[in-house]
Parts: sequence; structure tokens; C-alpha cells
Amino acid sequence: MNGHCNDTVEECHCNNGFSDLIIDTKKSAVHRKHETSRKEAEDKSRLPAIEAAYTSILRELGEDTDRQGLLRTPLRAAKAMQFLTKGYHETVDDILNNAIFDEDHDEMVIVKDIDVFSLCEHHLVPFFGKVHIGYIPNKKVVGLSKLARIVEIFSRRLQVQERLTKQIALGISEALQPKGVAVVIEAAHMCMVMRGVQKMNSRTVTSTMLGVYLEDPKTREEFLTLSQHA
Amino acid sequence: MRRRTAGTADPVLFNGHLTGRFDSGPCVRRSAEAPATGTVRRSDPQPPGAEVDPHRPAASSVMESWREERTRSVEDNEMSLPAIAAAYTTILRGLGEDPQRQGLLKTPWRAATAMQFFTKGYQETIIDVLNDAIFDEDHDEMVIVKDIDMFSMCEHHLVPIFGRVHIGYLPNKRVLGLSKLARIVEIYSRRLQVQERLTKQIAVAITEALQPTGVGVVIEATHMCMVMRGVQKMNSKTVTSTMLGVFREDPKTRDEFLRLIRS
Repeated sequence: MNGHCNDTVEECHCNNGFSDLIIDTKKSAVHRKHETSRKEAEDKSRLPAIEAAYTSILRELGEDTDRQGLLRTPLRAAKAMQFLTKGYHETVDDILNNAIFDEDHDEMVIVKDIDVFSLCEHHLVPFFGKVHIGYIPNKKVVGLSKLARIVEIFSRRLQVQERLTKQIALGISEALQPKGVAVVIEAAHMCMVMRGVQKMNSRTVTSTMLGVYLEDPKTREEFLTLSQHA
Repeated sequence: MRRRTAGTADPVLFNGHLTGRFDSGPCVRRSAEAPATGTVRRSDPQPPGAEVDPHRPAASSVMESWREERTRSVEDNEMSLPAIAAAYTTILRGLGEDPQRQGLLKTPWRAATAMQFFTKGYQETIIDVLNDAIFDEDHDEMVIVKDIDMFSMCEHHLVPIFGRVHIGYLPNKRVLGLSKLARIVEIYSRRLQVQERLTKQIAVAITEALQPTGVGVVIEATHMCMVMRGVQKMNSKTVTSTMLGVFREDPKTRDEFLRLIRS
């Protein structure tokens, strides 16, 4: 999934002239730090190939790539695509930035209505919506914006909404070891709205409950009430 | 492409097509709310039917400009699909993904088909879509079709634009089947577009098909290129409008139209 395996370290190599790319979230931040900057440099080196691909797409669609509005579109589209998949470069360890604090707090913490934007991995078309995250700290709380940053890491990839929800929950779980984590995502999928069945108002809701949220229905209910209404 | 030399303005290239003669100056503008009077606009020329080659009857000249549309056929789509799919495979690799993993195995084909769907406006012509649904009706009051959902692709970033179109026109004894207004929106929106041009093309198409007393088109849309990337302003909307004929000249008519689409 996204080149990751849930339990074991797995490396994924891309062929065809590109240097080997290792996508792996299990490695430590220290090891990954130099890899992150290397990939940012690689982004620039990969740009021409993606640009050429977009030029070919535009031509095959019947457009005139020399008209003024489309002249630099392949470059812009390639950069946009790289931005929309920048989550591959980042790991949870990197962005947490040591913003974990010892706090004698064991009540629920909820950050809700986090705007999320991702790309459907089946059609390469956006899906977007809101994420609600709740966790019960086990003496360790995390900086609130870090929850939103964790969402960003996993959403800026080619995704499936179910996997995105789970990755966010697992990311928080591993970083904090809280008593429980709950993540709910409600999103609109353009692949359903703009094409295919074309249902304008449909929304997809997925959730992942870990720890005490899974075991205790009252806790889960409190989270769902607070994130939906208040 | 052939250039038209008759007419009051030079032919203008839109979406790679020649679309006939009309004012090439800007007559749409961005605004945060409904457009108000006061901006100086160049006057529109007469509908093309008035100045066509005298050997052709006026009625068919209405559709003449559309015959120059470069139409894609279903066969073209089938033939170009492998090339587009191959391009998407390259893109996936370039982004660092593994095109062989289960979720991505058929993605290049799906993405290619999806992209062809999002640009299917190039496959259709106005003549086909209107389907002779123009009726003589002794009606000269405003007709409005509003809240037409619109989905387009930003031609600069290849990222979706979506929003709503509101169309109003004052018939001149000829009315159009209502769904045909929505179909005209579909033809022009399912292309690589710029919102200003889209608004204008819809207005001009209705003008050329019906020769009404006036046409007004307002589009309110969200641009994913602004929301998902770049400035990342979640709630921003872009509003463009085109007012032709009496909608442009008479502020009261325009006002009535704008008020009715708000409610």
C-alpha cells in the first residue's frame, strides 16, 4: 500500500531509468533525513519526464499544445502533481518535530474539521473532505497542528480513503502510544461526482477506531457526538 | 485552420477552435459578488447571422461557425487511449510510485479514460446537441435556468473546476428546450478551460442558436488549483459573467436576472 507493508519493512524499487526509490515509513527519522532532501532534488530531475508525458496526453486528447493557454501547462501540471503527492517524501517522525509533551491528561482530545485533499489512486482525480481525529493521551500529548500535519503526510499521496484513514490512525498510534485513537473521514470523490455515476451529493465516510475507542462503545459514542455536532 | 475574414472582428481562437466572429475584448471580469454596472464594455457585434456570406441563407449560418470545431470521434478516443495510458504510467513512475502494485495496476487506463471523459466536449457539436429543439413561441419574458452543476478542467494545471452556471435569456419569439441549455454548458465545460472563456462561449452559443433579445450567463465556481495547491484558500469562489444584448444595455433587465438567480 503506497509501497508500504503494514507490519514488515518493505522496499519498493522503480525501474525504467529512474534511480531506485525507497518508500518506507518504518525507518527512523535519522536515517530518513538525508533521504528526504535527496528526494526533493530528485523531484526536479524527474520533472522533464512527467512534463513530456503531459504534453503527450494533451496532444492525444486532441488539444493544440502550442496555443497560448497550454504552452506551459505540462510544466505546471507536472509540478502540481508533484505537490499533490509530496506526502511520499515525508515521515511522521520528521514532522512531529519533538512536539510531544508530557502532560498529566487522560481525557479525550479532538481536532475536527481538518480539510483534507487527496488523489484517488484509481483515476488520479481529487477527493476531498474533512477529517476528525480524537485520541485519549497516555500522559503524552502532541502539538495540535501536528495532527493536521500527519493528515497532510498521508493525504498528499495516491490514496484509497480506507487506507488513508487507517494510516492516519496508525501514525498517531505509533508516535504517541495513546490509550486510543479515532479517525473519521467524510469526503466527496470527484471520480464519482464528475464522471462515472455522477452523483453530485454523495459522500463517503470511513473510520478507524483503535484501542479504547474500539473496545468501549461509550468512548466511541462520545467521540462521534463531539466531532459531528459540537 | 481557416481564418474568417468577414465580420466585425478578427476570428478568435478558443480551445484550438475557430468559433466565429465576436468581440475579442474582455467583457467578463472576476468579482467577489454579482457584477454591477459601471464598467466600460465594448459593444458586441451583431449576431453572425447578419453578416454572413450572402450566398448562404441566414439560418444555416447560425451554425456555420460550429462546423469548424475540431471534433474528436469515438474512434479517435480508442486509438489514442494506449498512448495516454503510457503517459500516465510514466507519470506514476516519475512521482515515485510503483505502477505494478495492485491498486495502481489499471490506473493508467482508468485515468486515461477519465481524462477523455473530462474532455468529451471536444467530441460534440452544438448542432447535434440542440437537436432542433428550437420552438417558435410567442414569449418575450425572461427565461432562467439556474444552478446547473458544472465540472470543468483548468487548462493551466489540469485540475478540476466545479461550480454552478446560471443562464437567463430573453427570447425573440424562439425558445430553446430547457435541457439544451444544460447540454450547451456540458459541451463547453467538458474541455480544458478558463472560466472566463467558458462563460463567454456559453453565452455566444445561445446567442447564435436563438438570436434572442439578450443572454446572461453567470458562473460561480471553485478552482481546485487554488484550493488543493498554490495559495490553498479553501473557501474561495470565482464568479464570472457575460451579458449580451439587452442584458448588457438595460440595467433593470440585468438586475432582475441577478436577483432571480440569487433567490
